[in-house]
Amino acid sequence: MNKYCLLIFCLLLAPISHAQVLIVNPDNIDTDLSLNTVRSIFAMRTHQWSDGSPIHVFVLEDNDNLHSDFCKEILKVFPYQLRRLWDKQIFSGTGVAPTTVKSIEEMRERVANTKGAIGYIRKEQLTDTIKQIGMPL
Amino acid sequence: MKRVIALLLFCSITTVSFADNDWSDKLQIHGFASQAFVYTTDNNFYGKSDSGSVAFTELGINGSFQLSPRLRLAGQVLSRHAGAFDHGSPRIDYALIDTNLISTSKGRVGVYLGRIKNPIGLYNETRDVAHTRQGILNAQTIYFDKVRELVMSSDGIHLYGEYFLPNGSLLIQTGMGYPLPNKNVEYAYMGKDWAGNISGDELGIFGRLIYEHDGGRWIYSLTGTRMTLDFNHGVKDAIPFPAGAGLSSGDIDIDYTVLSAQYNGEKWQFTTEVAFEHTSYNDIGAAFDSSGFDSLGYYGQLDYKFTPQWQAFIRYEEFQLNIDDWNGKKAAKKNIATSQFLADFGIQQTPSPAYANYAKIWAIGGHWDIQNDLKFRAEYQIAEGLATLSPRENDLNLGDKYWNMFAISLSYRF
Repeated sequence: MNKYCLLIFCLLLAPISHAQVLIVNPDNIDTDLSLNTVRSIFAMRTHQWSDGSPIHVFVLEDNDNLHSDFCKEILKVFPYQLRRLWDKQIFSGTGVAPTTVKSIEEMRERVANTKGAIGYIRKEQLTDTIKQIGMPL
Repeated sequence: MKRVIALLLFCSITTVSFADNDWSDKLQIHGFASQAFVYTTDNNFYGKSDSGSVAFTELGINGSFQLSPRLRLAGQVLSRHAGAFDHGSPRIDYALIDTNLISTSKGRVGVYLGRIKNPIGLYNETRDVAHTRQGILNAQTIYFDKVRELVMSSDGIHLYGEYFLPNGSLLIQTGMGYPLPNKNVEYAYMGKDWAGNISGDELGIFGRLIYEHDGGRWIYSLTGTRMTLDFNHGVKDAIPFPAGAGLSSGDIDIDYTVLSAQYNGEKWQFTTEVAFEHTSYNDIGAAFDSSGFDSLGYYGQLDYKFTPQWQAFIRYEEFQLNIDDWNGKKAAKKNIATSQFLADFGIQQTPSPAYANYAKIWAIGGHWDIQNDLKFRAEYQIAEGLATLSPRENDLNLGDKYWNMFAISLSYRF
């Protein structure tokens, strides 16, 4: 019976528990961000944390499954929308693109070692070199 | 422009000394290269396309350098080969200083100074970058390539503001600048290459208001420009009728407003834009309408993504040069009368047909993203009317009313 209770409990939790998590550099002081703030950070429109220090955004390649899942489930946009925003900015001189990393290992390493960094990862890939921050639900 | 470059250099020299040594984080370099093949059944679009043309090549490279948290430099050099319009000589597409005045989690405010891409419609700023277009060509009834240089960029100053609302973003941009018209604009607005020149010596104004709802699921935009072009006649242009055209120096006033709406779904995307243009010619001569006229261009495009890599679209677009003369019937009658009048003076001129005053185009196409940075496209257009064609590439008095276009392109970006 206990097993079933646990299963039902897990199923109830499942819809609001994402497999992807936002990660930041451990020195970061902003730990809870609204959905629209996270969207504008990944759209490369918000450039500074609350203390005025620069934000450094890391993403995986456009066709990476984790990138796609992160866009759809956390940001609630599609990867092509972000790509279009970035392209519009870099090819009109009005902004810049995020730094693209090739692998999850590189994502973890760059976020851990770059001041003001933000990125994403799967929950089970978290390590203590990076900090998970509040998830917009 | 020289002054702008000098200012950019001055700023970079004075500010770099304060910057960190970590250049790689502050410098971004991007670029693009695209080659298209265009075949038209009749008429010419980008070269002698009625026998197949490869005269549509686009190359660009840009850099952005973050001098300080509030100051950024950006510039792009563009080389474009496009039929009779452009022969590939490199040009500065934009070169600007972006000064961020306010930046908070609620929004930001800043200023662009230099050569700035004009925010017109959803696509004008990146119209030369194949990856960002809606097809091999953007809808020509709004993004006319024959007058591309008129709206592409201008030298001036723009103020921008972005406000992040609970479930959307409001983007505002307004500014002024000197337009950069060239011979293509003269052909489009004055029918041919006159001995004189069109210049952009008067400040134009630009404005944009965009609301992006729910992370850009819905985008609504209002953009516009008002500009005045100066025509300075040449000696030959002033020779009085009937020996010459009897033109004098004057100006052309242009108001251009675009309303846009777009839905971005996972599989479906729908875009529609409507452009209103008012044109009036002042003091140039009897051949150019001083009372002014209103033009209308619009399109609707439906895109479907089979997978993120494979996508197809269908689009209908239309342009009417004079909304008080739908399909150009009155203009055609007037042109016949003008030709008869000229014949009395021994001047032979084929009257321009009604269908030179409009364009109605169905376009279908698709693309395949071979890799993230490599895109292959194919497209077919069924067209009626000549309004999207330039007299620089066609004798519009003798153009074919019905014509089709087939095009393919391969585009790379980094």
